[in-house]
Amino acid sequence: MAGQSDPHLSIFSSAEVEFLAEDEMVEIVPNISMDPLNLLCGNFGPFRPQIATEVPMWLAMALKKRGKCTIRPPEWMSVGKLTQVLEAERDSPREFQPLPFHYVEISRLLFDHAREDIPDVYMVRSLIEDIRDVRFHKVESGLETIAARTHAVKLKNLSAMEVNIVRPFFVRALQAFYKHDSPQMIHQPDTSSRRPQVADRGPRRDLRPR
Amino acid sequence: MAKYYDIDDIIMEEELFSVVFQVGANGVGLLDPSAETNNIEKGAKVELPFWLAQELHLRQAVSVTVPACFNQKTRKEIQADAPCVDLRNRCPYFYELGCKVAPLIGDRTIGSFLLYAFTGRYKEVLSKAHSAAFAVAPKFLTLLTKEETHLYEAARSSMKAFKKWRVGGPRFEKASILKKRKSAE
Repeated sequence: MAGQSDPHLSIFSSAEVEFLAEDEMVEIVPNISMDPLNLLCGNFGPFRPQIATEVPMWLAMALKKRGKCTIRPPEWMSVGKLTQVLEAERDSPREFQPLPFHYVEISRLLFDHAREDIPDVYMVRSLIEDIRDVRFHKVESGLETIAARTHAVKLKNLSAMEVNIVRPFFVRALQAFYKHDSPQMIHQPDTSSRRPQVADRGPRRDLRPR
Repeated sequence: MAKYYDIDDIIMEEELFSVVFQVGANGVGLLDPSAETNNIEKGAKVELPFWLAQELHLRQAVSVTVPACFNQKTRKEIQADAPCVDLRNRCPYFYELGCKVAPLIGDRTIGSFLLYAFTGRYKEVLSKAHSAAFAVAPKFLTLLTKEETHLYEAARSSMKAFKKWRVGGPRFEKASILKKRKSAE
């Protein structure tokens, strides 16, 4: 299957993360009249022309493809808001701005299927790209601080896709450091009396102190 | 036992170690290419793969000398500039082997040496892996040990997969077998 993940690399492929993002709610303005949809995941509708309603992303995409609605871009996807976020990202080199957990995927879905519904689509697109680049650079510089005594890392406000990109590298790096830092390697191996390994070995390091 | 079928583990244990026999051994002349008889005398210096050297060492039949990749010269080089040392050439399974050798010969400095080497080289791998995602640096890659290569590849392929996803293209891919059939027609 096209979107399936490689079992050796990461737990999710990008397409799978996108699939998860399709459960996020978005506001649409239908141009058809339709009874409410009663589905396992919830009840959506009723759909009346020109009356906005909230539906999951996947339903919005399906309706949009058939030309049955227009999508109202989420609040954070405006030029003003994004410019603000970008400046804040640049000003604070050690923390991430709060953005929706699936902002990369949602923006891509909207750009693919509903370009005409987004005002200033080119501007919004390049702003989101910039934000992503700035944030990823921060992740990279954060990864540099991993050292022997790092056993856990806290990343506040990191989005799903960003976590997914660094996960394979990150897990391997932490495992390698853990292995080489284990007490048996550093200190004299105590084979005569096997004492249980101490679970907590040193302080956890915050990659991004709040 | 967990690593019984691990191919890397098996290859790693093939690494040759030079050992000195502490006892004479009969009927194992094929281990020593220079032996004239079928016996190995006490004090003979022989190269053995790690898996054999380890077992013989535990039975105190041989004494193991530290392999070249953990000697003082390599340590000095690592201290000078860790990322530039060609560890793959010396021992592709540098870290894994180090972890096994250290308890065997009871050298407690090897552990911290491994950690030091990895810390120094990790940063180089990190900066190359994500930034130079497409401009491949073949020269740099030839210096990495197996473990570092895995790390580099993990970062590079996840970055590549993300870029591919972002560019888009067809959402549904045809299975390669279907493509073939179509072109054959």
